[in-house]
Amino acid sequence: MSAAQSVPASALPVLRAENLSKRFGGLNAVQNVSFTHYAGEILAVIGPNGAGKTTLLNLLSGVYRPSTGRLWLQEQDITNAPMERRCHAGLGRAFQIVRPFPEMTVHENVTVGALFGQRGIRLPQAREQAYDLLERTGLAAHADRAAHELTLLQDKRLEVARALATQPRVLLLDEVMAGLRPAEAQEAVELVRGIRDSGISILFIEHIMPVVRDLADRVVVMDQGQVLAEGTYREVTANPQVVAAYLGTEAGLHA
Amino acid sequence: MDLFLQTLLNGLLQSGIYALVASGLALSVGVVGIVNFAHGEFLMIGAFLAWAASASLGIDPLLSLPVVALAVFGVGALTYRVSIRHVLLAPELNQMLLTFGLGILLQNLALMLLGGNTRTVSTPYQASSLQLGALTVGGPKAVAFAFALALLGTLYFVLYRTTLGRQMRAVAQNRRGAQLIGINVDRVYMLAFGVSCGLAAVAGVLVSVLLFASPTVGLVFALKAFAIIVMAGLGNLTGVLWASVLLGVSEALVQTYVPGGGGWSDAVFFLMIFGTLVLRSFRGNR
Amino acid sequence: MSAVSARPVPARRPTFAWRALLALGIFFVLALAFPFLPLGDRREFLLQIGFFTLVAGIMALSWDLLARSGQVSLAHAAFYGLGAYGYALLLKAGVPWGAAMPLAALTAGFVSLLLGGVTMRLSGMYFAIATLAFTEVVRTVIQNLPESVAGGANGLLVPALLGGNSRGQYLLALALLLLTVGVSLAVRLSKLHHAFAAIRQGEETARVLGVNVVRYKLAAFFLSSVLAALAGVLYAGKTFFISPLDTFSLANSISPLTTSIFGGLYTTLGPILGATVLRVAEELLHNTVKNGYLVVYGLVLMLSILWLPRGIVGLWRRGRQGGDL
Ligand SMILES: Nc1ncnc2c1ncn2[C@@H]1O[C@H](COP(=O)(O)OP(=O)(O)O)[C@@H](O)[C@H]1O
Ligand SMILES: [Mg+2]
Repeated sequence: MSAAQSVPASALPVLRAENLSKRFGGLNAVQNVSFTHYAGEILAVIGPNGAGKTTLLNLLSGVYRPSTGRLWLQEQDITNAPMERRCHAGLGRAFQIVRPFPEMTVHENVTVGALFGQRGIRLPQAREQAYDLLERTGLAAHADRAAHELTLLQDKRLEVARALATQPRVLLLDEVMAGLRPAEAQEAVELVRGIRDSGISILFIEHIMPVVRDLADRVVVMDQGQVLAEGTYREVTANPQVVAAYLGTEAGLHA
Repeated sequence: MDLFLQTLLNGLLQSGIYALVASGLALSVGVVGIVNFAHGEFLMIGAFLAWAASASLGIDPLLSLPVVALAVFGVGALTYRVSIRHVLLAPELNQMLLTFGLGILLQNLALMLLGGNTRTVSTPYQASSLQLGALTVGGPKAVAFAFALALLGTLYFVLYRTTLGRQMRAVAQNRRGAQLIGINVDRVYMLAFGVSCGLAAVAGVLVSVLLFASPTVGLVFALKAFAIIVMAGLGNLTGVLWASVLLGVSEALVQTYVPGGGGWSDAVFFLMIFGTLVLRSFRGNR
Repeated sequence: MSAVSARPVPARRPTFAWRALLALGIFFVLALAFPFLPLGDRREFLLQIGFFTLVAGIMALSWDLLARSGQVSLAHAAFYGLGAYGYALLLKAGVPWGAAMPLAALTAGFVSLLLGGVTMRLSGMYFAIATLAFTEVVRTVIQNLPESVAGGANGLLVPALLGGNSRGQYLLALALLLLTVGVSLAVRLSKLHHAFAAIRQGEETARVLGVNVVRYKLAAFFLSSVLAALAGVLYAGKTFFISPLDTFSLANSISPLTTSIFGGLYTTLGPILGATVLRVAEELLHNTVKNGYLVVYGLVLMLSILWLPRGIVGLWRRGRQGGDL
């Protein structure tokens, strides 16, 4: 795929996928997906339910190995790297279904990310970094609460804070806005912008179209495992194929 | 060749009992979600009840079997009510400890009441044997196997052809889903746990005929049942059958063909479990 | 995130930690004083109970160490047995006891790395059954080797530890329990604690956050098995005689588990309190209800799970599970 116009010529690729595929039995959940994610960019992946977005993210973060294809993080080939290696190489991830460590405090949860996501860091330093992140994500007041006591919004913040603690270059976000009220979603949008402004590239999956419109520099549209279109929000929403793919789905393109 | 066939036959006959014990355990693990470490003790209760009926009333164990099955079903359902039910949401470890405690309690209760001796049951068909061409089958073995087959047939008929069975399988496959379509999960649990214990007891009755009754007779069968359900895959009720046959036959083969066989057969058996688990774990979807 | 801020990070409720340390201190002072008390004519017997309470404490705490990394093992009897047999065989080969003890423990540690390596991807009940099967394989192999090698089913005679001096044996056991507690506290205060807890509470999430799961699972296995093997050495040196059936008995895998849960999982104090209470209760019951003591023991276990699901420590440690000393 060629880069869309919105990408400045000077931008360097951070994450590059080439012909990624994943089969589950007879099902091609992801098929020949290629894209390039540039430094400092917010890239959205959209598509109807079952399009293969989460599977793609699982391929990127190493939960699955691709059936075919290659994957680079900056110059490193990470196609077959285990998850912890990808983390050390600079890949952070927040899960669609939040997964806090339930018996730890909020602070301890983030400390784990800081402590193991970076090399050669000591525990006191990790705790401090974690606390700073709690302040940045608005969770400092809950630092000592057990993670299982949080509300959904707080859980999502925790999920993001923990991923940030690993000092990623690229952050993968899977539907972090789902289930949030409009005002909360707006807060989350601001949070994501702030993260990008601190120099972290962001790849996110999202169903809520206004959020995509507000946040994304570029959009990749998936359908039935394949890339259907790629470009700015305006470009892809004007694409008749994309409109057709969304027609009749419960989300609707302009919901 | 005859020796080989005879070995296969012996293994097959043995697997009938294994399948009974393991199907029971598979119900409690698969349906109720409880790893019942006291499963062998319910087998022991069945064996002792059969022995008691035979020794004091002169009733053949195979005749007392239905009554024993019902009685232990009741004990199992009661056990579910007063204990298991309260740890369904507790961590797996706590559930394990609860059933360990139950096992210790039952085993030592038997020891206290009856002593550690083994009790044998005498039946008219004890010394009889069956001739199948060149192959010989001991009478008790043949009878026990026939019973095991009949019971397994009934069990699988219930599981696959009745409403209760369908409910049990639905719960085993998807707890939440079962609840959503209006199945009374608590009731299914109680019945499944009762049936699980009843199956162990029935196996115990057959064990009393084949071997003896003693406070610790259940342990080895319970261990083997664990191995079988693990090999079959938890919650896989039909897998239990082939895993039992595989286990029974390979045990028999080792006993016949490995020098000093008796001692090594346990090692082979546990090595098989270990190998199956480990190999399967490295074949995951990655 | 980059600059280290000068603002102090608030310390998290240290109250229980102090209480737990205090309780541990009291335990060790009492345990140290015990063999010097005027114990009268039941001295030998009481010292023996004390000795096996300490051994049970080492077993339970070392088991807990492994469980903290999410690995609920039934292989503790194997490490106990490897310690006992390794020690006995090394002595037979002429190695002095002071060297045989750590060598036996390291052997068990090495075996645990092999076991941990292949069971890496198993979890929950599958892991438990695999480790149980492993124990049985080791037992059967030792039992079926020629008698000249490891004594076969008949077992082996082992020279008494410290020439049979009961007080010396007791103090050695106490020293090894202290070592176990030291390891447990060191783990608690280090990076290992966070790695173990993360793996236990979400293995995949831990990996995504950069935790090297293989390394930490193996570390837990190694520490745990070395300590369990030392308990096995103590056992062998105290009873003079070891056999495959007694040493590798399922009970030796299960009682550390029950003891830890009864006392309080994932803590240092819990397994030790559990070992003390259960051992003493066992002896009292043994003396009062004679043969029925195991009946009562089983009942106590059941009732404690139903009414005391977080163990003894949970009684005054309300709120969270797993974080404290
Ligand atoms: N582990 C799996 N095994 C089998 N099929 C799967 C698995 N994960 C996802 N799928 C299937 O792959 C397709 C894509 O799923 P997913 O990536 O979750 O879609 P999306 O996130 O876009 O909604 C779906 O048809 C889904 O059922
Ligand atoms: Mg999805």
